[in-house]
Amino acid sequence: MLEINDIQRDYITEVLNISMGSAASVLSEMVNEEVALSVPEIDFLQRNIAANKFDQTSESKMSGVTQSMSGALSGDALLMFPEEKTLSIVRILLGESVSVENLTEMEQEAMCEIGNIILNAVVSSVANILEQEIVSSLPRFIKGTGKEIYAVDAGNEDLVMFIKVDFGLESQSINGYVTMMLNVDSLQNFMTQLDEQIHAI
Amino acid sequence: MPSDGKRNSRCTAMQESDHLFEKVLDLSENGLFLIDSERKIVLWNEWMVKASSIERDEAIGFTFSEVFPALAGKRVASVINAALDSRTASLLSRSLNKAIFPLFFAGGNGEKHRIEQSVTVKPIRSNGDDYCLVQITDVTSMVQREEVLKVLAKEAEEALHAAEDVSRFKSEFTSTVSHELRTPLTSIRGSLGLVSSGVMGALQPEVNKLIDIAYSNTERLLFLINDILDIDKIESGNMSFVMEAVDLMPLLKQAIEANQPYGDQYQVHYCLKEEVAQGIKVHADRDRLMQVFNNLLSNAAKFSSENSDVEINVIQKGGMVRVEVKDSGIGIPLKFQSRIFEKFSQADGSDTRKVGGTGLGLSISKAIMEMMKGAIGFATEEGKGTTFYIDLCLYDAEKVT
Repeated sequence: MLEINDIQRDYITEVLNISMGSAASVLSEMVNEEVALSVPEIDFLQRNIAANKFDQTSESKMSGVTQSMSGALSGDALLMFPEEKTLSIVRILLGESVSVENLTEMEQEAMCEIGNIILNAVVSSVANILEQEIVSSLPRFIKGTGKEIYAVDAGNEDLVMFIKVDFGLESQSINGYVTMMLNVDSLQNFMTQLDEQIHAI
Repeated sequence: MPSDGKRNSRCTAMQESDHLFEKVLDLSENGLFLIDSERKIVLWNEWMVKASSIERDEAIGFTFSEVFPALAGKRVASVINAALDSRTASLLSRSLNKAIFPLFFAGGNGEKHRIEQSVTVKPIRSNGDDYCLVQITDVTSMVQREEVLKVLAKEAEEALHAAEDVSRFKSEFTSTVSHELRTPLTSIRGSLGLVSSGVMGALQPEVNKLIDIAYSNTERLLFLINDILDIDKIESGNMSFVMEAVDLMPLLKQAIEANQPYGDQYQVHYCLKEEVAQGIKVHADRDRLMQVFNNLLSNAAKFSSENSDVEINVIQKGGMVRVEVKDSGIGIPLKFQSRIFEKFSQADGSDTRKVGGTGLGLSISKAIMEMMKGAIGFATEEGKGTTFYIDLCLYDAEKVT
């Protein structure tokens, strides 16, 4: 099974944190408020375990944004939050109070844009490590249980790259989770390139 | 080598297809423009011409920042660069980016309105060249609709809160007033009872009669207040139940005995016809079940014709026991049947004085039966009488533990 060692973990984290920094400054400017983004944790997990990471149980509702990737890597990139956290973000960034059911098209679109900025930052970090191009699609709003979103029922035990993202907003900090769902070849390719880069240092 | 003729016809076909392609773009309901890797605009559709008032020849061949100098360094410019340099697609929502491009539509009176926009920026590669497609969707009407919806939702919420406040106030008021009335009434009844019993010395018959009227009316008021307090408890969900195994027949017989003096007032006799074995237990709250029996028995007496019998039958059916109370009264008019369990309902409003009662009893009985997972119902025939029945669950020790 594919595993990640401490050196690899540190390297990816550092590259991600650099692009998260620029994503954060874009977000801060957009919402006229200090937004800090950081990556405290990164791991390779099986889908079913990733699905459980959210709230001990894969039955809890979550929502977020997804976009697909093609080119050097193919798969999907997701930014997910426990459902009530999505609301906190929309509430803080848009200054509105709504419930998930009432997230209007406009607010979903705003959430998509926030996710788009963060996912593009992650995807471009990965592309930098690969030194190859990754084409990303437009973001899409999704919600469901961890089980549904990670397609656990399909018996899919693929590994995913699981990145915890810390959103520092106003007085509170909210944890979101970026998942890179890659096919096995893409993941292997990524790890090989990663090692080459580390050796080159 | 293809002949010139062939080449020409192919050129014509390509020109035709380009022409068609342009027509399609011009018919689009979205703003579309394409930027090449030199940041020059290479395509500018009709929607853009209309909304921006920038003609095609003023846009095509010029760089993005020449056409939109005010947008240099803005987020839209950087996502265009990202699409061309690292092939990422981006979305600029209208909520987080107010009126990205200076685009307007003409209103009816010649006024210009700024178009609310949602913008997508996508990378395209064709024949090894990179392009960036910018698409603009006019979301003005959606924004207006959402604003209206938000106002409506807010108003609805406020109205709901106001209604809840009124309802809470009403129920608190009812409860407080009822409690405050009960205390003095209880002492009035006590005093009247003492006086009428002759403890304070014998009374003249005329006085005694008046005291009796005062006593029975005080009692009626107390019943009414207790019923109102019960309804209040039911509606606020505060009525508590102690569910236990209740030996049915002794309780029912006790109820019949206790109600017979009341029946005597109407010259009605309670008569237990069919009964189940002693020891049959039902799952119920003893006091609340007694309250339901009292209600059904007193109703039957009230609505029976004089010198008649009220028949009581107890029948076991599967896991349930049914208790029927059958009167020989006037029956329930058809149009009233659907409202029989509603609060303050008596078939004939003018009847209230004659038969007494608050019109709350059946409504309370129904709520009690539902809370005890039982049921209440009736069968009636106008002019012949009514049978009210309640269904109770047999006490099943296994199920309860």
